[in-house]
Amino acid sequence: MARPLWRRILLSAVMILLACFIGIPLYYIVVNTFKTQGQMVTSPLAPPTELFLGNFQEVLTDPRMYRSFANTLYVTALSVVLQLVVGALAAFAMIMRTSRLNLLIGNILLIGFIVPGQSTLIPLYRTLVGFKLVNDLNGLVVMYMGGAIFCYFLIQGYMRTLPFEVIEAARLDGAGPFRIFWHIALPLIKPILVTVGVFQTMWVWNDFLIPTVFISSPDKRTVVLQVYNAVSEFTTDWPMFMTVSVVALIPMVIFFVFTQRHIVSGLLAGSVKG
Amino acid sequence: MSAVAVRPPRALSKRGSLRGGASGGWKQIAVNQAFLLPALFVFVFLFVVPLVQTFYWSLTDFTGYSPEANFVGLENYTKILQDPSMLAGLGFTLLFAVGTTVLITVLAIPLTVQLNKVFFGRNFVRSVWFFPAIPSMAILGLVWRYVLSPLESGVLNSVLARFGVEPIGWLSVDSLARLSVIVVGVWAATGWHAVLYTAYLQSIPGEYYEVAKIDGASPRQQFFGITLPLLTPAVVISTFLLMTGGLKVFDLPYTLTNGGPGFATYTITQSIIVSGVGQGRYGLASALAVMFTVAVGILSFSQLALTRYIERRFVWPGRCGAASC
Repeated sequence: MARPLWRRILLSAVMILLACFIGIPLYYIVVNTFKTQGQMVTSPLAPPTELFLGNFQEVLTDPRMYRSFANTLYVTALSVVLQLVVGALAAFAMIMRTSRLNLLIGNILLIGFIVPGQSTLIPLYRTLVGFKLVNDLNGLVVMYMGGAIFCYFLIQGYMRTLPFEVIEAARLDGAGPFRIFWHIALPLIKPILVTVGVFQTMWVWNDFLIPTVFISSPDKRTVVLQVYNAVSEFTTDWPMFMTVSVVALIPMVIFFVFTQRHIVSGLLAGSVKG
Repeated sequence: MSAVAVRPPRALSKRGSLRGGASGGWKQIAVNQAFLLPALFVFVFLFVVPLVQTFYWSLTDFTGYSPEANFVGLENYTKILQDPSMLAGLGFTLLFAVGTTVLITVLAIPLTVQLNKVFFGRNFVRSVWFFPAIPSMAILGLVWRYVLSPLESGVLNSVLARFGVEPIGWLSVDSLARLSVIVVGVWAATGWHAVLYTAYLQSIPGEYYEVAKIDGASPRQQFFGITLPLLTPAVVISTFLLMTGGLKVFDLPYTLTNGGPGFATYTITQSIIVSGVGQGRYGLASALAVMFTVAVGILSFSQLALTRYIERRFVWPGRCGAASC
């Protein structure tokens, strides 16, 4: 550990320089939100000489922006909660009864863990057209329910590490399955629910593939879709587009700051089990 | 709690009749199995049925406009191999998957080792590297579209212009566009994978390095003799995630180049969406989806097999503590 001081300073300098280089695009979009179009063209990378808030004013008074946030919030909240409920229920059933049938089911469910969304996209699109769920926020929720299988695998992996005696004791006390699930299993698996929930929230909130295929009317756009459409709207007004992007990124950044720990543990859980 | 306390005798007697199995009477078993129903419903509706449909359609000339679907055998599969856009999509997707996997692995491991050392500003550096993993890839792709704009006013080009460099067509020349998409993909995911490696790196006991130092091993020898071999399980997981993620890529090329110029950065997913949902060529798109699924499936199972093989060969220190190993 007795590294010479000069080597530590050198490492520091190299790493910070590298990080600045990596961070340029992020710096670039933030800086340009405070510039007018003219300022951006003449000095794209310089810090703004004066704080121009016109871009933010315009974006933050745009009702479509709020609309897209509300849409995304609705889809994300509903689908993540449903995914967790479905996944947790299944994991609970598997843990409570390890019969040969359930082992088989568990292995078959692995298919849902591996098969990518692209493979089932076309038939599901046709099916949802039949159910009048295309161009409908609830249709997106239906599509995201596929994530329940992922939730199931992570939750049951965690459940296996829990002391089974607690559940056994509750059963001996005569608690029914619902009671055990609600009052004993759920509080015990809270850590993994948070981890998986954070992970799935990031996926649904950031997803572009499903909304771009399933949503066509402007009032049903999710945030990412709204930003995508802003590009064609502001082809020449780059600062406006940058501002739209930054506003769209803010909720995710705040979310990240508060859930950082869980994101990293979710990354590990997801990769280790996967 | 009193309601709970009333019933125990019955539960006890039921349980007494079973040999240690964790189950009650038939009614309880039925209720218990009912907990599985929502997941099974999701599985059948969102995976089994569509997968069967995809496979079936891939063997027909189904268009979606007419209800007729004639069996055409493997015609769709041979058509894919003659369709320039689909071939381009297959080619670039493979290039992207292999390119990002190799580059990110080569970059993330040394980065992890450096980030694990103590230095001033470490948290800042870590956050910057990790940040691109937070926002939507689609939004990042759009931002990079401005940075790499082939116009004179593009950020990179306007910076280069100060050094007297003519505008470069980052996104308008085939090879440069491919390279740009891959570089942005590497930029976006290296920090994420470095975090993955960090967790494994920190589980390597410090004594290994101390012993190596006493034996006079150089830092390079320590890296190749201790760090790299013990990171093997992490390499398998990380490269697997990168390969499957690379094969599934869609957001980034779609927003950065929209598959262009021409079909230079076209992807399998874009191909499936355009030909299937867009043009209603369900048969053709389904055949592509089947090929794609098989590729991802083979990759997933080989990763599973490889992980098991490695777990048997390596006694991995960090995970063999109190927990079962």
